[in-house]
Amino acid sequence: MSALFTFLGTRFVRALVALWLVSTVVFVVMRLSGDPVPLLLPPDAPRAEIFRVRAELGLDRPILVQYGVFLGNVLAGDFGRSIHFREPAMRVVASYLPATVELGLAAFALAALVALPIGVVSAVKRNSLLDHMAMSLALVGQAAPTFFLGILFILLISLKAGLVPTSGRGTWMHLVLPALTLGAFAMASIARLTRSAVLEALGMDYVRTARAKGLAEIWVVAKHTLRNAALPIVTITGLQFGTLLGGAVVTETVFAWPGIGRLAIQSIYNRDYPVVQAAVFLSAVMFIILNFVIDVIYGVLDPRVRAR
Amino acid sequence: MARVTRRALLKGAAALGAAAAVAQVPDIARAQTTGKRELVWAQGGDISKFDPHFSTSANDIRISFNLYDNLVSRHPDQKLYPGLATEWKLEGQTTWRFKLRQGVKWHNGDPFTSADAKWSLERTYDPSVKARVNTVFTTIDRIEAPDATTLVIHTKKPDPLLPQRLAFYGGQIVPMKYVQKVGNDEFNSKPVGTGPIKFVSWTKDDKIVMDANKDYWGGKPDFDRMIVRAVPEMAPRVAALLKGEVDIITQLPPDQGERVNGHPSTRVAGALYAGLYVLAVNSKVKPLDNPLVKQALALAIDRDAIVKELWRGRGIVPSGPIAKGDNHFDASLPPLAYNPKEARERLRKAGYKNEEVVIETTSGYMANDKPMAEAIQGMWRDVGINAKVEIVEYSVRAQKNRDKSFKGCWWSDPTSTLGDPDGMMWRLLGPGGPQDYWRHAEWDELGNAARFSVDEKFRGEAYKKMTRIVLEHFPWIPVIQPYEDYGLQKYVDWTPNPNQQFEIRRFAFKFKRA
Repeated sequence: MSALFTFLGTRFVRALVALWLVSTVVFVVMRLSGDPVPLLLPPDAPRAEIFRVRAELGLDRPILVQYGVFLGNVLAGDFGRSIHFREPAMRVVASYLPATVELGLAAFALAALVALPIGVVSAVKRNSLLDHMAMSLALVGQAAPTFFLGILFILLISLKAGLVPTSGRGTWMHLVLPALTLGAFAMASIARLTRSAVLEALGMDYVRTARAKGLAEIWVVAKHTLRNAALPIVTITGLQFGTLLGGAVVTETVFAWPGIGRLAIQSIYNRDYPVVQAAVFLSAVMFIILNFVIDVIYGVLDPRVRAR
Repeated sequence: MARVTRRALLKGAAALGAAAAVAQVPDIARAQTTGKRELVWAQGGDISKFDPHFSTSANDIRISFNLYDNLVSRHPDQKLYPGLATEWKLEGQTTWRFKLRQGVKWHNGDPFTSADAKWSLERTYDPSVKARVNTVFTTIDRIEAPDATTLVIHTKKPDPLLPQRLAFYGGQIVPMKYVQKVGNDEFNSKPVGTGPIKFVSWTKDDKIVMDANKDYWGGKPDFDRMIVRAVPEMAPRVAALLKGEVDIITQLPPDQGERVNGHPSTRVAGALYAGLYVLAVNSKVKPLDNPLVKQALALAIDRDAIVKELWRGRGIVPSGPIAKGDNHFDASLPPLAYNPKEARERLRKAGYKNEEVVIETTSGYMANDKPMAEAIQGMWRDVGINAKVEIVEYSVRAQKNRDKSFKGCWWSDPTSTLGDPDGMMWRLLGPGGPQDYWRHAEWDELGNAARFSVDEKFRGEAYKKMTRIVLEHFPWIPVIQPYEDYGLQKYVDWTPNPNQQFEIRRFAFKFKRA
């Protein structure tokens, strides 16, 4: 029991340190990147006006003071007000969350459901026509720029074939193309990694033993190979999931999808510090939770991890 | 391994075929008329605010000029018409009397009165409000509302352009009682106006939903609901139009015109931009402090080639610093000349010593900004100018704009906010203006006199002289006055406004009905 607490405790402290580091880096980088005030005012705004707005936003204070105020507020759960939208920054970011999660989940589900079976089959039937086809396709999926793929899908699947809407968010039909575009890369990398992990496991002694004792091939793969190949697969799949949830700027831009990635980029252009900080913080929290979940799954899958 | 049976395969194929057939139906049914009650249009970015006094960006004013009314309304023909004011006249030199429209209601049912108009205009320059349009009405001294339908505005000095100012940003009238009750932030998230559309909902970076104002004094618009989508990329925006998902798209680049016009159900509509695309010049740095060098720069630009090649003919060559369509535009002036031989001659006379001339350009902030910069770099090099193009990000440009730290030339797309040179060249190039990199005593004097004169003949003469001075000193090197193009369904009858207002009132927008 105490081992579990130690495990959870260390994880928690590490998570806090990671969050603090991420917040600080974003704070510093955003302030290095420039001043939001010229972007807020019309080009013919007088200088006095510029100084007034700087003071209003607290940007005239020394950076250390700004940092102190920022940290204090974050501890209280307050990320400040969006300079661009004039609303609490976290509320702005949270309003983008449903769309991001929806797209992330769909892309992930698509990627995992397609890639895992393909990877396993490719490994089991290695060097077959199926294997070659699947792996070539995966290579294309990994190599094709998202931007190109997205526009291609819009022109072919939406405009030519008329099957789904071109862009925007609404029904599940709107989700198809962005999920496919966003999922393509994850799909390809999961499929390739699954294949090599399964291949490696298939070459192990215990697989030979299982076959030697006359076990049906399907059980050899399902029971003895997959479980042992699962660790790297879980890692890459989990990380891919985190990336997908973190928002996908290009996919969101191409498909006019109101997600966090686009918000973050726009906010960087607008020098909307509070929104960028809130968005990055939220992404970091999601990543940390996901990592934690992966760790727990490790323990479930592999008793050796638990023992340590 | 699962085997795909022949039956399953056939079933799948049949389903796909059916889906494709269903999708084809609207194509056939789509015609030159429509029964649609919903107007859907897409622009290149989302809005940032509904409060009209806190933003001047093009994306925002496309909405706010429809959500609210101004006292004076500028129609697509660029002339002024009654808005919330039915008539106005100048009394003496500095007193403007406005008769306000009776029986107008705010979207929440409150009556509109002169108190709203007075409070709203004062709000723009009230320092405690911190509005972003606080420089628009600096000429106003005080405002009186002697009765519910009369508004009297006293200006500090004669202001010939007050009605024009009231017609553009800052002039949108907001509801006094409602804003006082709910506060600025709540007003911004649940806006109330008198305009032809009423706020329903806003999903950021996705869509804005508005209902038609059935009781609009100018007549209910020709739809029940309006949806505005933000589609940042050009290709999906055009695809959405061609597929019939949207009725109008903004910011159609010239090279997409053929595609839109070539499609059986869509067309292009354009308006000559109320403004110019110019290379603004930092006349304080060498060699740009020498008028001869700047004359050479202007002479070396083959504007016809730029219009033809980069804009597919969607633009005209300017004749000076005043946009065609503006007050006091001099139609007798010839388009700016292209004469590389003369350019070389003036460089020689100037004693030009191969100093570097930098063009700082954004990439994609203005239509064709980078391609034009590169083309002009080539043209300048051809006459022996050591030209260099540097790409800057938009926010860097904004910063440089503020610090007045441009290295040589940079793109500017001045909008003529008042339909008059005062709202364009004087606003930007005048003393203390955002592009104050050049001073000329006579020009300054003329601009000042013209600003405060209500004698249009005098003003016309002043702007003629100012134009001549600009064409000698080139604080701006005008390059093109482009068309701003929109893609429309053929069943949409809509006239674009040259100054980026997106007019959906009855006089400008209709669906063609069968």
